[in-house]
Amino acid sequence: MTEALIVRGLNKTFAKPAVSDLDLTVHAGELYALLGPNGAGKTTTLRMVAGLTQPDSGEVSIFGVDARKDPAGAKALLAWAPDEAMIYDKLTPLEYLEFVAGLWNIEPRAAKAKAEDLLATLGLSDEARRRCEGFSRGMKQKVALAGALIHDPKLLILDEPLTGLDAAAARLVKDMLQARVDAGGTVILTTHILEVAERMADRIGIIAGGRLLAEGTLDELRGKAGEVSTQSRGQTLEDVFLQLTTEAFSEKVGA
Amino acid sequence: MSLPFKPASTPWLLAHELRLAWRGFKAGRRGSGPGALIAFAVLGAMILTGGIFLGLGVRGVDVPIAPLVVAIADLALAVILTLMLSTTLAASADALYERNDLDLLFSSPLAPRKVLFVRALGLAVHAGLWFMVPAVLLLTPSILLGHWAWAGVFVVLAAAALGASGIGLLLAMALFALIGPRRTRTVAQVMAALIGAAFFLASQLRNLMGERRSESLFTRLAVDVNEGRVVLPPLADWPLRAALGQPVPLLAVTAIGAGIFLFAARVLGRRFADAAAATQGAETRKAARGPTRAFAAGAFRATMRKELRLISRDAALLSQVLLRVLYLLPLAFAMSRTAGHLPAWALAGPAAAVTFLAGQVSGSLIWITVSAEDTPDLLAISPTPVGVLLRAKLAAALVPVAALLAIPIAVLAWFAPLAALWTAIGAGLTAWSAGLIGVWRQKPGKRADFRRRRAGSFLAALAELAVAVLIGGATALAVAGWYVWALPPLIVAGAVMMALRRTDEQIAAALRAAS
Repeated sequence: MTEALIVRGLNKTFAKPAVSDLDLTVHAGELYALLGPNGAGKTTTLRMVAGLTQPDSGEVSIFGVDARKDPAGAKALLAWAPDEAMIYDKLTPLEYLEFVAGLWNIEPRAAKAKAEDLLATLGLSDEARRRCEGFSRGMKQKVALAGALIHDPKLLILDEPLTGLDAAAARLVKDMLQARVDAGGTVILTTHILEVAERMADRIGIIAGGRLLAEGTLDELRGKAGEVSTQSRGQTLEDVFLQLTTEAFSEKVGA
Repeated sequence: MSLPFKPASTPWLLAHELRLAWRGFKAGRRGSGPGALIAFAVLGAMILTGGIFLGLGVRGVDVPIAPLVVAIADLALAVILTLMLSTTLAASADALYERNDLDLLFSSPLAPRKVLFVRALGLAVHAGLWFMVPAVLLLTPSILLGHWAWAGVFVVLAAAALGASGIGLLLAMALFALIGPRRTRTVAQVMAALIGAAFFLASQLRNLMGERRSESLFTRLAVDVNEGRVVLPPLADWPLRAALGQPVPLLAVTAIGAGIFLFAARVLGRRFADAAAATQGAETRKAARGPTRAFAAGAFRATMRKELRLISRDAALLSQVLLRVLYLLPLAFAMSRTAGHLPAWALAGPAAAVTFLAGQVSGSLIWITVSAEDTPDLLAISPTPVGVLLRAKLAAALVPVAALLAIPIAVLAWFAPLAALWTAIGAGLTAWSAGLIGVWRQKPGKRADFRRRRAGSFLAALAELAVAVLIGGATALAVAGWYVWALPPLIVAGAVMMALRRTDEQIAAALRAAS
């Protein structure tokens, strides 16, 4: 199986350790959900994968490209969409997508057609030539998502992609992500909405205190939680998540 | 730490604002490093030294209340007042649009009048400090050496700042009422630039009209007053008397400044809150019509196009550039008029000024394009090399400058090709040096923060100014034909640039430290 992302021994310390000796593997063509309580190290991990934060040590490989040795090569393969939309208020969605396509050196005509297509899919055709400054948070998120998709990344990394979206927009984004995975793309996302991870993710990683507590399909996670407590068998992801993270917290306090 | 005042009282709110301002100032200083502090200290020491010499020179000498002195004092106060007004008008308009904590304050039970009073006081302090700090350094030695009544200057400056704050608010609100929320900010920025340049343009009226070469209207006015051809109106001597500490004029000036301020704060409180609420989303433009342009090919062109769009949509930046262009106009007139029939040396001054202003305008634009970036993460995750992005940003900043300078230089080239060549080289050099300083000393931040701060790195601004003056001087000497003498200022400018230079690694380290 081709690996979309391999992370080995990743470490990052700010005032205190944010990510500790993290190993992560994401297979090509899967939707991987990275879950964890606030301050668990999810965003720091993804920022290191995207090349936005320099790790203290460790390796990151994206489709076999060493992200630390060949950052440009790795960046060409991925897109990053954080919870705060990375857009310019004074540009229109179309102008923004033109800029992003330029950064990834996409052929202008193809980029324009793709931009119009993406905006239409996201229901933003009427707003395509209006400056983003008056947009709602959800609309800005959609523009940012279009920016992330315009260069057809092999690996799409999304940090809380559903924040600020209404129910219809959230459904639209979820459908788009599912379609992307069905078409062979790879998606990594973080979310606090555990139902989304439960329903959409092929595999789930649970992180707390900068360390990966467990990783696998929902059944595998249930199994791992069951090793801790037999009560977890057959329960929801929420139960499993709380069980694992609470256990980790208790160990930390006990230590 | 809790504030030592009754919650929701005016002093409490004022203390809260001061705490925020102080923390913002400290954070800004941390990012600047020791260079800016040293530059401030050197500048302060220079003014203080001048103040000591002044104090010794005027010891035991009384300032005469003569027509010439009165005219100079009145003109100085008028210049200071317009410059303060330029600042407060722009800041008042911005205050209407920038949400920050306004929503929180106006949604609380605090009286809007109280909020506006504190905000307006902040505007007055901001506008007044620029004049108060140098005035304190310059005049304290004289005050300590016997002219204690000269402390009246500080009171006059404070009154001027309060008055400017009140007028700025009234003007901003009047604009808002007249032209609505969509255009107020842009028009206020342009008006602020025009007010800021008003006295310079007025002083150069005779140059612009072609009546007489290089004679300021104010010089003429002062001479006419001195020779009795112009009689000053009654009470014209009160600002001078107030500055010299005479009680009644001092009280009157203070009452006028404070009165305007209190009137504005009292009358506008509720209206300001309503206007601030009305600006929410008001700047949203209608969707553009017509066929869409083809997408730019490649990162360089796409980045350049994006930066040019952002420049053209930044009212605050455009007003800043407009201000400098307004300063350039009389010089361009003078150059085009004198170029045909005067010797080369007569063009030296205007050529130097054009060169200097080229550096200043480039500096403003480069500072914004290089340092102000709303989506640094987007650029960081793209595979485009940083060098390509920087070159595109520099090019976007320099294109408008080149377009701006092309006209005066083309006019000059028609009459005096060699002078035009030296001016073009000088302007190119100052623009290039501003570009390098902008890259070496970049201080990343959001665009909106740049508008709020209204300035970037003090050290970079000072260095830019020094290099532009030196290259401007060298250009003047070259235009005059004194080529050898043009070399020393160029060498000094080169030395300043070498002192400012940062390697790519140092830039990266500074950016990491700032983030």
